Amino acid sequence: MKASARWLRELVPGLNASAEEIADRLALRGAPVESIVALAEGLEHVVVAKVITAERHPNADRLSLCTVDGGQGVVSVVCGAPNVKSGGWYPFAPVGAVLPGGLEIKKAKIRGETSNGMLCSAKELGLSSDHAGILELSGQFTPGEPFVAAMGLDDATLDVEISVNRGDLLSHVGLARELATDAAGDVARREIPGAPAVAFRYEPGTPEVRVGGVSVRIDDPDLCPRYLGAVIRGIRVGPSPAWLQERLRGAGARPINNVVDATNYVMLELGHPLHAFDLGRMAGSAVVVRRARTGESKFTTLDGVERALTSDMLMICDAEKPVGVAGVMGGLHSEVEPDTTDVLLECALFSPKSIRATRKALGMSTDASYRFERGVDPEGMRHATERCVTLILATAGGTLDGPVLDCSPSVFEPQVIELRLARIERLLGIPFTADAVRGLLSPLGFQVLGAASGGAAATLRVRVPGFRSWDVKREVDLIEEIARTHGFDKFPSQLGPYRAGTVPDHPLFQLEDSLRAALVGRGLFEAHTPAFAPEDEGDVEVSYPLSATERFLRRSLVPGLLRRVEHNFAHLNRDVRLFEIGTSFRRAGKGEPPREATCLAAVLTGLRTPSHWSAEDEPFSVWDLKGLLEDVAGRVYGADAAVTPGCSDARFDGAASFKVSSSGGAEVGRGGRAAKGAVDAPVWAGDVWALELELPAVPAASAPVSHRPLPTLPPIDRDLALIVPASLSAGALETAIVAGGGRLLESVTLFDVYAGPGIPAGTRSLAFRLRFRASERTLKDAEVDKAVTSLLATLEDLGVGPRG
Amino acid sequence: MTDTDLIGALRTLEREALAAVAAAGDEAALETVRVAYLGRTEGSISKVLRGLGALSADARPAVGQEANRVKGAVSEALEQKGASLASSARGPSEDLTLPARTPWRGGLHPITQAVDEIWHIFRDMGFTRARGPEADTTWYNFEALNTPLDHPAADEQDTLYLVDSVLLRSHTSPVQVRTMEAYEPPIRIVAPGWVYRRDTYDATHTPAFMQIEGLVIDEGVTFVDFKATLAEFARRYWGSDTQVRFRPSFFPFTEPSAEVDVKRVVTKPDGTKVETDWLEVMGAGMVDPAVLENVGYDSERYTGWAFGMGPARIAMLKHGVDDLRKFFENDMRFLAQFAE
Repeated sequence: MKASARWLRELVPGLNASAEEIADRLALRGAPVESIVALAEGLEHVVVAKVITAERHPNADRLSLCTVDGGQGVVSVVCGAPNVKSGGWYPFAPVGAVLPGGLEIKKAKIRGETSNGMLCSAKELGLSSDHAGILELSGQFTPGEPFVAAMGLDDATLDVEISVNRGDLLSHVGLARELATDAAGDVARREIPGAPAVAFRYEPGTPEVRVGGVSVRIDDPDLCPRYLGAVIRGIRVGPSPAWLQERLRGAGARPINNVVDATNYVMLELGHPLHAFDLGRMAGSAVVVRRARTGESKFTTLDGVERALTSDMLMICDAEKPVGVAGVMGGLHSEVEPDTTDVLLECALFSPKSIRATRKALGMSTDASYRFERGVDPEGMRHATERCVTLILATAGGTLDGPVLDCSPSVFEPQVIELRLARIERLLGIPFTADAVRGLLSPLGFQVLGAASGGAAATLRVRVPGFRSWDVKREVDLIEEIARTHGFDKFPSQLGPYRAGTVPDHPLFQLEDSLRAALVGRGLFEAHTPAFAPEDEGDVEVSYPLSATERFLRRSLVPGLLRRVEHNFAHLNRDVRLFEIGTSFRRAGKGEPPREATCLAAVLTGLRTPSHWSAEDEPFSVWDLKGLLEDVAGRVYGADAAVTPGCSDARFDGAASFKVSSSGGAEVGRGGRAAKGAVDAPVWAGDVWALELELPAVPAASAPVSHRPLPTLPPIDRDLALIVPASLSAGALETAIVAGGGRLLESVTLFDVYAGPGIPAGTRSLAFRLRFRASERTLKDAEVDKAVTSLLATLEDLGVGPRG
Repeated sequence: MTDTDLIGALRTLEREALAAVAAAGDEAALETVRVAYLGRTEGSISKVLRGLGALSADARPAVGQEANRVKGAVSEALEQKGASLASSARGPSEDLTLPARTPWRGGLHPITQAVDEIWHIFRDMGFTRARGPEADTTWYNFEALNTPLDHPAADEQDTLYLVDSVLLRSHTSPVQVRTMEAYEPPIRIVAPGWVYRRDTYDATHTPAFMQIEGLVIDEGVTFVDFKATLAEFARRYWGSDTQVRFRPSFFPFTEPSAEVDVKRVVTKPDGTKVETDWLEVMGAGMVDPAVLENVGYDSERYTGWAFGMGPARIAMLKHGVDDLRKFFENDMRFLAQFAE
């Protein structure tokens, strides 16, 4: 909502505030101001000047040489505009003035003649884009009078952010009402200069009213409960008077003609959109309010755009055809034109939901639809009509023809709400007396109809004014008004006691915390990436996506992290270690929300530790990836999680990949070297390693650690170098050793792998350190020898023997 | 004593002396060893050398040679040991100014850090964390929160839909509804999470961002508690001299509704303290009774309040980050700044 500071000051007598102060007050009333634009910023030096003489420049056909009285004596000025005339009044920038564009006016010689200033166009003053000539001023002026004051431009436009529930604030009177509660003043309305005295009469009826030859009929009262039509005949369409134009400009509107300006003025003043139809172009001089019919599929609105209609759109029609989209925009062919003499002025009430559906379907929003969607004052319709009729009669002449047609299939019933003083205190925390409530609500237009009795048990009855009927419907809505008007900042800020809640801290957050801490401890940085992905990375599609690359929701976090690796490579960061915990999405049943899983993903590339002078640089290898995968898998799924070689995911290089299985056998993670083509890497980049792990939706609480007594007796260690067939994996061999090592075997640690000279072809040597211990006695060498001999015998079956 | 006996005695002395040198733990002990063997008057090796004159001319060269060798060996051992003791008092001989061996340093994303800081303050005031799905139904995102789909309020947050009644949540408020459905009062939770809106990337907008929701429901919870708790949060987060302002606003699911602004005191590089402008940091309000009724709570009995804030915006303010998109680039150099 664009509001004129001057207009607001006029409406609130005693509001002697600058635009900035008004903005601050509105902010504290719940209507923050986004910007303040002074209408005539930077025009302080510009004055009104009279051109005494204007003759052709002796040395240039297109220039004029003028003598100008700008209040500081008559000076000569060279002017390039074709419309400069002797005796005319123009804005004048004398030498030394600086114009809004930053242009500084200097004394200049132009084709041999001295110019002492500049006569300005509207564009040069930043007032409009009109550069056809200098701005001609009409009125009574004195030379040298400041231009801004002379033109009534000493106004500022406030761009006020109005919340969707407060349609009543989409008007100057509405904003003034909020300001008046502070200034302790009343909302005053401007007298319309030259307004004739009009005796308004009304002809009510339903569903049709007919007066003279004009009729109004509402066929769809569910979408239009009331329609007022005033007939004005004999008007002369022309420009509005200066005061009206100034007012509109101050509120950010563009003057058009006296009829349209009158409707806009009343909308900006009172908040009710009105529309003037050229009655001469209404077939049958009839208004019919009805839904569009089949066959009425196309309609051209007054902006010249052809719109597609549907049968649920409410239209304003004449006897034959639609002439306007109700509450949204009039039609091109019923618009008020310069030759219009008779108009039908519409002041109607439409269903906000219908207006909203229609304007959304048409893909448009107008000042009118914006207000109707948020609700206009059903009690202020006659007042708005009278105000607008008076304004038209004052500025365009003509006469009101007969009574105003008031077609009202349904009558507005003001609402009365019961308000319990005890409930106010229960919600707000401090008590309010009946008198205090009355004092807070009355300035906003609420009528407190009386209390049953005094004391805390009292219940007040409050009548809601029409302009608040859309958002104040319940007791709590009134309580909000009390809190707001009392002032949020006047409430004490005192911390009270509280009871502990019933909701446990979600265990998945706790798991995420511990994973984050572990990964940060391992030198990884946490990344945040949005969940949007291209088509090949997701199967959940976003309707009307933001861009082609963000059409889907990711199935996996890995591709997004790999793109972050590419970004880092592009910035010459070779060492990249990132992880993310985020959501992945998979399609579920038709029409159902997708299945979501919280996932952990990580990427590693570059050196496994920072370069150090004492050692060769070592890049991340498969062992780092495997170690990280085992670590996170163990943290999430416990000791039973198995990391086994090979995974079927083509995003990983099959020769260096793993999968993670939970104790139930389900695949819950995978990782490995990113496959060729999965990362766009420069030649200098090392291998990129990636992993991902799905986290359980609700992690089980981990069992408490059960303490085991430390051994008191010494172990006996035996190193065993074995010749192993290449076909037997280290993992399988270790399993066999554990199985065949006997009950004294405590641990098995692989400490060497060798293949090469000295070892038979097709085999390798694996060396294990075996630790034996008995918990209750000191072990004898002979026992261990026996265990090893027995173990070697079982390993023989696997083709494994001791190394020579 | 024969010359052979003397040579044997010298070698015994040599063994004893070298062992004593090796055993000497500090410079004083080493000096005692030196005096005992090589002392001018009482030194046992010196005595042998002094006795050379009493030997026959035949025996003198052999014994003298051996005695000198033993004296040299013990002297050398004393010298080495002395140097070693002296240097161990100074430290090892390595150049310790060389750079140390360090592991890689990692760090949490700055927005996670902001979320954690906020959560920790609320945790200290008795809150726990709740969560809900990022893709949800219109019921949870709008209708249950007193926002009819045909009301303009449903447009305010331009929503990303998946299918007809399924959307990417436009705020974390659906977690309020889901939590109240699953638990009885008292409720005292915060709910951090991702939310989605139809915004294109620019310096202050991203189509996905983090939000933290808060919800308190119990008997006797009032506007005074609401203001006091959030003001307390603001002072704990931004400093005890932070001013807090509650401005009336509108959210369909709270009534009264407020925007919360803070005015911080910041210290400039020259040490002077200045007040910032008012900064909007969260939207909040008393939970609308319609929301309580929608989850089956008795709105006459229970009251409560809720808030929502954007940790990314708070992180921007805190760290002087001028463009939200930097948080999504995940440049290692950027992330490392927040781990310093």
